[in-house]
Amino acid sequence: MNQVNTLWFQVPFPFKQIIFWSVSWLVSLLFVTACEKKTSEPPDTSETRITIRFEHRIDGQKLQYDTLLYVNEAGNPYMVNEIQYFISDVILYPHNKGPVTINEWKDIHYIDTDLPTTLRWDVYDQITAGQYDSVGFHFGIAESENISFMYPNPPERDMFWPEYLGGGYHYMKLNGKWLPEGQSIQTLPFDFHMGIGQIYDSVGAITGYVHNDFPVILKSSQFEIMPGETKEIAIVMNIENWFKDPNIYNHDLYGGYIMQNQTAMQKAKENGHNVFTFAETKN
Amino acid sequence: MKTFLRIGFIVLLATACAKNTEPELVPVYKPTPDTLEIPYGFPTRLNIPDDNPLTKEGIDLGRLLFYDGRLAGRASEGKFMSCFTCHIQENGFVIGKPRPFPVGLDGQPTRHAMLPLVNLVWNEGTYGWNGSVKSIEDDVLAVITDPTEFGSSFLAVEKAIREIPGYPVLFEKAFGTKEVTVERIAKAIAQFVRTMVSSNSKFDKYLRGELQLTQSELNGFVLFTTEEGADCFHCHGGSGNPLFTTNLFYNNGKDSTFAGESDRYSVTGNATEKGNYKASTLRNIELTAPYMHDGRFNTLDEVIDFYAHELVWTPYIDPLMHHIATGGNQLVPSEKEDLKAFLMTLTDTSFIQNPAFGKPVSFPGEKTMILK
Ligand code: HEC
Ligand code: HEC
Repeated sequence: MNQVNTLWFQVPFPFKQIIFWSVSWLVSLLFVTACEKKTSEPPDTSETRITIRFEHRIDGQKLQYDTLLYVNEAGNPYMVNEIQYFISDVILYPHNKGPVTINEWKDIHYIDTDLPTTLRWDVYDQITAGQYDSVGFHFGIAESENISFMYPNPPERDMFWPEYLGGGYHYMKLNGKWLPEGQSIQTLPFDFHMGIGQIYDSVGAITGYVHNDFPVILKSSQFEIMPGETKEIAIVMNIENWFKDPNIYNHDLYGGYIMQNQTAMQKAKENGHNVFTFAETKN
Repeated sequence: MKTFLRIGFIVLLATACAKNTEPELVPVYKPTPDTLEIPYGFPTRLNIPDDNPLTKEGIDLGRLLFYDGRLAGRASEGKFMSCFTCHIQENGFVIGKPRPFPVGLDGQPTRHAMLPLVNLVWNEGTYGWNGSVKSIEDDVLAVITDPTEFGSSFLAVEKAIREIPGYPVLFEKAFGTKEVTVERIAKAIAQFVRTMVSSNSKFDKYLRGELQLTQSELNGFVLFTTEEGADCFHCHGGSGNPLFTTNLFYNNGKDSTFAGESDRYSVTGNATEKGNYKASTLRNIELTAPYMHDGRFNTLDEVIDFYAHELVWTPYIDPLMHHIATGGNQLVPSEKEDLKAFLMTLTDTSFIQNPAFGKPVSFPGEKTMILK
């Protein structure tokens, strides 16, 4: 800095002026061209991106809502009315490189089968082209990120999990109906809701909480992205798997609601390991 | 040369990022913009249409029209009606009477029980019990011609307001010219209605940590937000949704048949929505009887008894109504008392007494015309 100052003082008067104004002109011309560039920028064809679609299937077929078409492992005839859930911290594992978390600044994604726009996620980040070994994510919202009141606006807002039951947000609401044993018409609702579980003492007071979110690494989820490609992949929820392997989940046993039933939520969590699968879709 | 360089430089810098817009020769009149403060925990996304921003002048005009009995355009018949005839502040902006329903200027009852006007700036475009109305502006236009409300016409309403000395100049202040149109009337009233925010009930104060609820109210809150309790929060909100409505539509198990209903199905044609109505807000619920779209319950006790023991099964019942398995949530009398105590914490007296939403002290042309 001193060096520069000294040099500057040594420049004779008229040149000093000329240098000063030339530099000023140059800088301001830069400003002008910078502003113009914004409007006339050609689209960048070298963008490499990823789009994630969310699919919902039962027994390998696209889910049909609101009809009593399905039978689970326990033998309960059932239907699904709607599914609303969060996945977070989606991680791509590039071949021979460290994992990359996508959309780190907005890493929780909400999916709602009643809202088609949520079933397709155009990921903001640029993705490095190349081979990927697998895709992973978190089912629900990890404890450190599951903060009450963080979503003031619908639809995410309506996932709130009551403070008394541990707070934060439902990881999932899977709402449906099943035909109880011995019934021929009268289906009953089941609200297969997952979130923070509670531990109760003998008089029914809450003594602790259990976080039921879990990490998922999708089996056989290797794929390749070419430079400039927008790769479309799908995360598929295979709904029947929530109700089997390792635990046979019987609606007659667990009934219509499980937010205060950690035993049931634990079973659901254990069954969650193979609920999600990967599919590569053509673009 | 030096001066030229300098001036050139300054001009260049000044125009560097200026947008290429026409110079404004005549200063365009702009009313004073107004903003809404978003209360703690409330949605940050407001439903304010781009073509009808809130302005001080617009809101003031809207308030006058809302309360002016000449709005219906039928003063010459000796008939007066405004929004205020049915939406009364001290009753949480409903008429506050049990069935039969309020009647319009021609004596015809409204199709449904009333809905309160509260926190509607957060309704994202489904007004009314079945969500058929897309904006508050549209609602005003519908009220004008609806035979169960004003039973009037756009022309009659425009003429009536235009001829009242003092109104055209208020339209000029709000919208730039003296022209009186139903669209402008609707816009002004909608602006006023959007300012009606209730966020100061006992429960809000509890959420903000300003006071503690009584033991009974707290018990009621737990019942409200637990599945093994009363389970109301899935449809009516709670701490995470202080509007106490999701603004969504459900079948809550009141009836066994749904023929001829003006339910959500009548709007969407989606058969799974038979018997669906909006889970309306529980804010100020203590004040807004009768309850349900058909006003079938006159007291909160009746509503609580219904959810406890009287649910009716049909294939259309919403899956969130899991207590249907036992005909209701089976609350015992002390629990019912607690739940009611909690519902009463949603009453916001500062809202129903807020002078900004109340009747103006004077109206344009009051001295020269009959006014009711
Ligand atoms: C004759 C009584 C009556 C009058 C007069 C009346 N309303 Fe209403 N208002 C009702 C009833 C009844 C409903 C419920 C309508 C329904 O869904 O069928 C309602 C509903 C509404 C709603 C929907 C609220 C919600 O939560 O979706 C708005 C907004 C509204 N009125 C605004 C107005 C305005 C503004 C005026 C004056 C221009 C007005 N009303 C005049 C009876 C009235
Ligand atoms: C499945 C969703 C659902 C659940 C759960 C639910 N409600 Fe409702 N509630 C509704 C719907 C829908 C309406 C309007 C129904 C109609 O008008 O036909 C309503 C209406 C009401 C009303 C009348 C509102 C008015 O303005 O007239 C009250 C009060 C009410 N519910 C209280 C409760 C309470 C207390 C609980 C818990 C015991 C509860 N609700 C549980 C959906 C639900």
